[in-house]
Amino acid sequence: MSESTFMGVERDRIDWSPRIDFTKCNDCMDCVEFCPHQVFEVDENAKPKLKVKNPNNCVVFCRACSKTCGPDAITFPDKPETTKMIKAIRKAEKEAATDE
Amino acid sequence: MSESICVLPCNGLDKCAGDLSRRVALELAQSEEVELICPVLINQNSSRYEKALAAGALTVIDGCNTRCASKLAGDLELAIKEKVNVSEVAKALDIKLGVEIRDDQDTQAVVQAVLEKINSSVAEQAESEFIEPELIEYNTFSHGKFIFKVPKSNYFFNENDCWVTVSGNMARVGVSDYVQQNLSDILYVDPPEIGDEFEQFDDLGSIESSKAVFEIISPVAGAVVAVNTGLNDAPEQVNESPYEKGWLVEVRLSDFEEDQDLLHDCPAYFEFLKRKVEEIDV
Repeated sequence: MSESTFMGVERDRIDWSPRIDFTKCNDCMDCVEFCPHQVFEVDENAKPKLKVKNPNNCVVFCRACSKTCGPDAITFPDKPETTKMIKAIRKAEKEAATDE
Repeated sequence: MSESICVLPCNGLDKCAGDLSRRVALELAQSEEVELICPVLINQNSSRYEKALAAGALTVIDGCNTRCASKLAGDLELAIKEKVNVSEVAKALDIKLGVEIRDDQDTQAVVQAVLEKINSSVAEQAESEFIEPELIEYNTFSHGKFIFKVPKSNYFFNENDCWVTVSGNMARVGVSDYVQQNLSDILYVDPPEIGDEFEQFDDLGSIESSKAVFEIISPVAGAVVAVNTGLNDAPEQVNESPYEKGWLVEVRLSDFEEDQDLLHDCPAYFEFLKRKVEEIDV
């Protein structure tokens, strides 16, 4: 897979992935089953079993897994903040490109 | 409620939200037009309700986000006309339901609110102010057995595969052909509320097939003016005509020029989608 980007910004510069509240998580693994992008990983021997293995596989602005979560244990970063950040990076890159 | 309806509730035995779905279903069942569907029985013997389901539209009541009742309807490939989620209604009322089954003021308020939501589901909306373009031309490309279409012009896309097309300060939002093919048969469209204000990339409801739920991530900021009520009876229009008849939400734009900074025009989305399809190997 080629280097992934979102609107031209490298994916690893965008902080967007699920945060799990393990005081609420009940190990049902519905989120793992739901997400088609292998964001989560289950390690039966670890505690907690659930892990956000590939945060950068998470589709920027998608929060669908949190809606499958019965105990409401998944949250995401603030959308407007994230949008602002992406715009700022794009602007800075554009300016850097015109300066060259 | 003039026509007959079938109600498929969460079974409601394990916690408060489920118990409330059961209570809502029992209230609804007092009406003669309502047939209650037992989730356990339909799972075991779906033909038992064939007649009732053929005659009436299906309303699904989920207790919590595990959405057992919705999933059951999806597994049985039942088209859902309407859906409510008790936990979400409670959340909107700022009421914590918890696990323990109880009958008090809070739970009664939630039951009432859910009932109101079901009864007033066809929200009043103004006549559409959107001027539809006459003829839309498409570019296509194929990948394996799939053929993907993207309009040639006048549509804008975010990288979440949702589109917007603009007329004056009004716009329509929908999903791309790629989304509908990925989901396959769409069984339910969950629209946002009329009047809701939202930012670019906020959710504008969701669409659902038996395969998955897809969140509509808004390409623009604005306010919801109308939803496509034609999809209540025919959600398959999203599959058949994703860019035209299958539009999802009509909005009043707040700052389209600003939004465009993070949108692709048609040729750019066409290239983006081609790369994406190759990478994930649909």
